[in-house]
Amino acid sequence: MLRYLIKRLFLFLPTLLVISLLAFGLSRCTPGDPIQCYLPDNIDGQFAMSPAQYERAYSREAKKLGWDKPAFYFRLGPAAYPDTLYRILIRGQRKNLENLIAQYGNWPQIQAYSRQLIKTHQEISQLPDSLNSDALIRIRNLPGQLHLRHNDRAITSLLDTLQYYTAQDARVNRNIGPSVQELVQRYDNIKATATPHLLYLPGFHWYGFDNQYHDWLGNFVSGDLGRSCKDGRPIFDKITDHLQWTLIINGLAILIAYLLSIPIGVYAAFYRDSRFDRITTMVLFLLYSLPSFWVATMLVIFLTNPTYGMDWFPATGLGNMGSMASFWDRFWDTAWHIVLPVFSLAYGALAFISRQMRASVLEVISSDYIRTARAKGLPENKIIWKHAFRNALFPLITLFASVFPLLIAGSVVIERIFNIPGMGLLLINSINSKDWQVVYAILMMAAVVTILGILIADVLYAVVDPRVKFGKQKK
Amino acid sequence: MIFGKKHTDQLAEELEQTSGDQRYWALVKQRFRKNRPAVWALRTLYVLGFIAIFGDFIANERPIYCKVEGTTYFPVFREFLVDLDLAKPYPRFLTRSWLDVKKEYEAVLLPLIPYSFDTQDPDNRNYKGPLEEQEVSSWRYRHWLGTDNLGRDVAAGLVNGTRTAMLVGIIAMGIAALIGISLGAIAGYFGDDRLRWSRARVMLNVLGVVLGIFYGFTVRTYALQESEHLFVDLLISLGIFGAILVLFNGLAWLLERWSVAGKKLRVPVDLLVMRAIEIKRSIPTLLLLLAILALISRPNIFYVMAIIGLLGWTSIARFMRAEMLRIRALDYMEATRALGYSNRRILFRHAIPNGLTPVLVTIAFGIAGAILTEASLSFIGIGMPPDQVTWGTMLFAARFAPYAWWLAIFPGFFIFITVLSFNLIGEGLTEAIHARR
Repeated sequence: MLRYLIKRLFLFLPTLLVISLLAFGLSRCTPGDPIQCYLPDNIDGQFAMSPAQYERAYSREAKKLGWDKPAFYFRLGPAAYPDTLYRILIRGQRKNLENLIAQYGNWPQIQAYSRQLIKTHQEISQLPDSLNSDALIRIRNLPGQLHLRHNDRAITSLLDTLQYYTAQDARVNRNIGPSVQELVQRYDNIKATATPHLLYLPGFHWYGFDNQYHDWLGNFVSGDLGRSCKDGRPIFDKITDHLQWTLIINGLAILIAYLLSIPIGVYAAFYRDSRFDRITTMVLFLLYSLPSFWVATMLVIFLTNPTYGMDWFPATGLGNMGSMASFWDRFWDTAWHIVLPVFSLAYGALAFISRQMRASVLEVISSDYIRTARAKGLPENKIIWKHAFRNALFPLITLFASVFPLLIAGSVVIERIFNIPGMGLLLINSINSKDWQVVYAILMMAAVVTILGILIADVLYAVVDPRVKFGKQKK
Repeated sequence: MIFGKKHTDQLAEELEQTSGDQRYWALVKQRFRKNRPAVWALRTLYVLGFIAIFGDFIANERPIYCKVEGTTYFPVFREFLVDLDLAKPYPRFLTRSWLDVKKEYEAVLLPLIPYSFDTQDPDNRNYKGPLEEQEVSSWRYRHWLGTDNLGRDVAAGLVNGTRTAMLVGIIAMGIAALIGISLGAIAGYFGDDRLRWSRARVMLNVLGVVLGIFYGFTVRTYALQESEHLFVDLLISLGIFGAILVLFNGLAWLLERWSVAGKKLRVPVDLLVMRAIEIKRSIPTLLLLLAILALISRPNIFYVMAIIGLLGWTSIARFMRAEMLRIRALDYMEATRALGYSNRRILFRHAIPNGLTPVLVTIAFGIAGAILTEASLSFIGIGMPPDQVTWGTMLFAARFAPYAWWLAIFPGFFIFITVLSFNLIGEGLTEAIHARR
């Protein structure tokens, strides 16, 4: 038994590893700048702080989050890209440089241009305010924009504007004129010495273990998922708080579904083609096709609203009795609140499991040992529960492995409808508020929980059916 | 799916009894026809398909034919031509809303529902119910199923939703079926030890995949990112990927003559495919979909379809694999091998066609699943363009106005009927394939 368990566990490790790669990979493709979200006063940050201050705050935060390291163990990409590009911390600037390289392929020249741009930017921001002329106002924001442009036409037009207004004002020209000239020259140089063939040459670089993925995975294993950029709370605490409700609701739904579906399935199969069988089969089929979010929406609309005279249930949330109320009061309040969501989740699972139960019992009844039991003259009751039922149970256990992920996914919508603070609602809220670290931590956690569910089903199956353990050895 | 083994065993018996493709199909068809609910489901689908295809003639603010000041116009047809860039829109109606034009018609043939899904009727804003009094000029313009807060006609929205749902079902399952059938068939047919490649071929294929991704996608990142026609550029990328693989396999064919490189290795395809399925099974699909769709900055319904399809192949692959495991043990497979046919010929000409019928069942259930997934996604509102009107978005709107029961009932009912129909067909097919005796 132990050996089987260990074998199963080892089989899941590579699966988890691939899922972690997937979640990490997705988390690095997010639109927008994930670090921006962590900066204080993040209403587009730049306006509250001077560029230099912003940059300092940004790199401090990036270092704290470990984003100043290479992303992965190695890099496999066009040779035109330098191996040290990750050291440029500000994501917008880095992306822009990547776009420039993708067009021209000559990193040394692009780097020279970028350095000159930073220098010019500094010089412009250091111009004394006493120089406050029309020209200065016009050129002040240009370097910032140039940092984010890679299109040739856009850059040329910005550079032209910069040159034109610098030349307009003699005093401005005296201060930054040479710098601007140099900038234009370096940009022309990029275009003149383009080496696009380098883009088609594969390049490989090994970064070693000090990288973002390694840290991320290590932290995940030790339970540190980072912190949310919205409220600064550790993501692990946040997820476990929410996971609790998802598990409670789904656990109840699965329990109810199993408790009801077993007798239904067994009786329908035993009295096959009876009226009970025909009616339950039809009803279950209808239930099976009934979308749970429609049912849930209808329940919320018709049963929680005085409009239709059926205000029987609380609409959403989990109730708010405050800690003053006694435990039982709070318990009953919460229980009252989760009746509808649990129902919405349970009926679909009920329909699914009952149908499978019926099919499985039908298969068992046609087997020889049931005929033997009948021939012996055993009472029907004994045949059902003692002989048929136990053997028909096996598939129900494996079914758990497929019901469980379905429920977790289904509860995303249900939690949204009933506003239950579960993992699904947390996911939707995090996506909407662009709290990306939370989104991909949830994806990982959901995978871990699902794998645990499947693992439990596998082990249970091996416990009740010893053939499984040895099945593989036959080959 | 879970009882695939059982199905396949019974099917094997069946196949032994019947001979010839023709008779087998006729038998399946005949049994299917006896299943009344399934036949009704098929008829329902014909109707839904009709609505999806001819939606523009059923719900449209433009008349099919109209006469204004002695001139005849065919606005619906013209719109098709305009969409195809073959004609310019009628200048007369260019700057005016069709709701204003309606008083000027001298003769007119209106579609069944004289509103498009995005027509906003200013007189009937703020949730006008089907039974309430509506501000309409005649019964012909009545909103028979009510309106939403912007005054959009619910019936017209349902027609548009039907089109989206059918497209999602077909495109998503088309992609899933293509991947699922091929991977499942390869995994089942070859198993872990029947696919033997030379060393050279194994190595060159690994290298080919890496370089294919490099030249097809990594190098083209910028081109794809700046692309105006993403679909075309993606096809080019896939073409480059495929071309590199073909080239490397050709190279492998040449190198195989050399004895060191020609040594055969076993390729455990079954193991690889089963691992991939297991990984997919370990992540709740809706969560993964949300996590992927959230990354797309310009949402588009076709991305949703493609991603549902790319994630949905696993159940089909599992079924196909089980089917192949059965088929490869049959006598006629032995015969094809004895005749010295190549693996490719056996697989595509003899094995896969025989295993397709049962896969139809998974596809039917899969379409129902894809439609449900799309509806859930639009209901949640992630990964969908904001102006999209589908069954899911309409149902979601119902939550903001509990008294507007028509917004909850009608779209939900359409989802239910569609899903039910596909499920009934799947069930009918299952029974037709392995009829109980």
